Amino acid sequence: MDSTFISLMHGFAIAFQPDNLWYAFLGCLVGTLVGVLPGIGPLSGISILLPVTFGLNATQAVIMLAGIYYGSQDGGSTTSILRRIPGEASSVMTCIDGNAMAKKGRAGAALCIAAVGSWVAGTFGVVMLTLVAPPLATIALKFGPPEYTAMLVLGLIFLAYMSSSSLVRTLLMACIGLLLGMIGIDNMTGHFRYSFDLAELGDGIGIVPVAVGLFGLGEILSTPSYTVVGEVITPKFRELLPNRQEWRESFWPIIRGSGLGFIIGIIPGSAHIISSFLSYALERRVSKHPEEFGKGAVAGVAGPESANNSASTGAFVPMLALGIPTGPITAVLIGALMVHGVNSGPQLVTEHPDVFWGFVASMYVGNLMLLALNLPLVGLFVTVLRIPYAYLYPLIIMFCIVGVYEVSHSVVDVYIMLIMGVLGYALKKFSFDPAPLVLGLVISPIFEQSLRQSLIMSNGDYTIFFMRPISLGLLIVSAIMLIMSAYTFMMKRRDWRATLAEVEAGEVQP
Amino acid sequence: MKLRADHVAGSAFILFGAGIIALSGDLPTGQLSMPGSGFLPKIVAALTILFGAVLVLRGGESPPFAELAWDDGKHALLVTAITSIAIGLYEHLGFFVTMLLMIVTLLLLIERRKPFYAIVYSLAIVGLTYVSFVYGLKTPLPEFSF
Repeated sequence: MDSTFISLMHGFAIAFQPDNLWYAFLGCLVGTLVGVLPGIGPLSGISILLPVTFGLNATQAVIMLAGIYYGSQDGGSTTSILRRIPGEASSVMTCIDGNAMAKKGRAGAALCIAAVGSWVAGTFGVVMLTLVAPPLATIALKFGPPEYTAMLVLGLIFLAYMSSSSLVRTLLMACIGLLLGMIGIDNMTGHFRYSFDLAELGDGIGIVPVAVGLFGLGEILSTPSYTVVGEVITPKFRELLPNRQEWRESFWPIIRGSGLGFIIGIIPGSAHIISSFLSYALERRVSKHPEEFGKGAVAGVAGPESANNSASTGAFVPMLALGIPTGPITAVLIGALMVHGVNSGPQLVTEHPDVFWGFVASMYVGNLMLLALNLPLVGLFVTVLRIPYAYLYPLIIMFCIVGVYEVSHSVVDVYIMLIMGVLGYALKKFSFDPAPLVLGLVISPIFEQSLRQSLIMSNGDYTIFFMRPISLGLLIVSAIMLIMSAYTFMMKRRDWRATLAEVEAGEVQP
Repeated sequence: MKLRADHVAGSAFILFGAGIIALSGDLPTGQLSMPGSGFLPKIVAALTILFGAVLVLRGGESPPFAELAWDDGKHALLVTAITSIAIGLYEHLGFFVTMLLMIVTLLLLIERRKPFYAIVYSLAIVGLTYVSFVYGLKTPLPEFSF
């Protein structure tokens, strides 16, 4: 514990350096804007701005990109409350009661509760990250290729289980991602695979063109400007503080949302989306007045907003301690660290303590910055929300092209982004969630290498995965997940995932 | 039998998986004790075919293919075409000219905005972005090079 405290203090010394403070601030501001603007999610925001970090060192880069991630969780609530459009996916639940509060003249209070809840949850998440990640990394040092293989299998199956779309659809997307990740030179044999004599494909397909295409351009293709309408409610500055009753009603939902969000954040999947949904359902269940939900219940804003912020911090635990992404956003962040020559994983704490502890400490500071930013700048965000979408999306396309091109100065990458944009559009038409595809793409090289190494070290005996306790345990959990999914499917039972899918599609209230 | 969305999607995945297996012909599968470069791709392609087939078999639960809404298709097609041309010209005309032309075209052709506002807006944001990247972030952008 003492060494954790000393390391954290060292992290604060790094985080408080003026340039690191500046990049944390910049990340939080850009992240909030990314969250505010409908159509740009944190994933496309981070992907587009990734090349901007190439001139920075690894600590500054990850501080800024993580600021964009957790800043976007905060910013999304502003759009949800003032326009009833989720600024980004995890704010779907905030739309319901946040906008209802705004229509009752409590927009300011809803924004303030969302901001305070986000700060409490974000800070709670970072405290837990500080306590959990280093010991977990120590345990992970004992992992060999079979354990990594089993863990990645568990990650994929967990993602499929937690996803709001069906198990088969999620696994199909993961398979496509895994196959895309196998394009290029095979690291173990040197064979060229599926590169069609294109030298640019020799290094494989990058995560940035795929992520920007699927989530940035794909969204634009399926959103004509005439479909984006919405009135913006402008809160008055003097109404920004909630009254005593509203503070009281938000206290326990914030506490519960923080705890629930962190636990779900550690689990692979679109944790921040699922956590806000589950928090909303939990709050309605424990409420003495469930009939108020949907009509402006304070707990319907406080719980989900706390949960999605805590989940976004929780997602950093497996990323930093194990080097395993729990979703496409942490996958891009791992990619960003790799660009700077830093591999996330168990060795990160020991080999790059400045990056690890500087990053953790910067999140304490960043969460405070967000609290200080969000309320005074509400006027600015309202102005941004008034920019017509017709003028906004050409700007986003420009950033998509520049962002992807700047990664490796290759037009082939930009064409890959365009193809992925069209694929993203088609996938949306057929109700596929592209997130598992990005995750599959990222884990593909690690998965293939650890699987082949495991088989080589056991001389082709596949029971190696069942002979080692950790990998056996992970595979048993995977099997339980599969059985539970199959049971739900065979019994034609509706569970919370079916309801989540309908809520995301805007069909029903939970 | 009515053709449904999942019948089409599942068939596409089966074809994709089959295509990958066909393309993997010259990649060595190896043995379990020494897996080759074609080992995992073939397994994953086979799984893609399997899951595609499950999707086709369960297709009856999905909406009819003919009822899928394609009313945003024209917008998507135009944006794709204009973006594709812009990407092709990007390294030749450079950032400033290409992006200016692309944004003006998107605003005039798709959004039917007034030419004056479209040009002024495009000039302002492209100029601002250029200055931010080149002078603020010290990141060079492609220049005109015909």
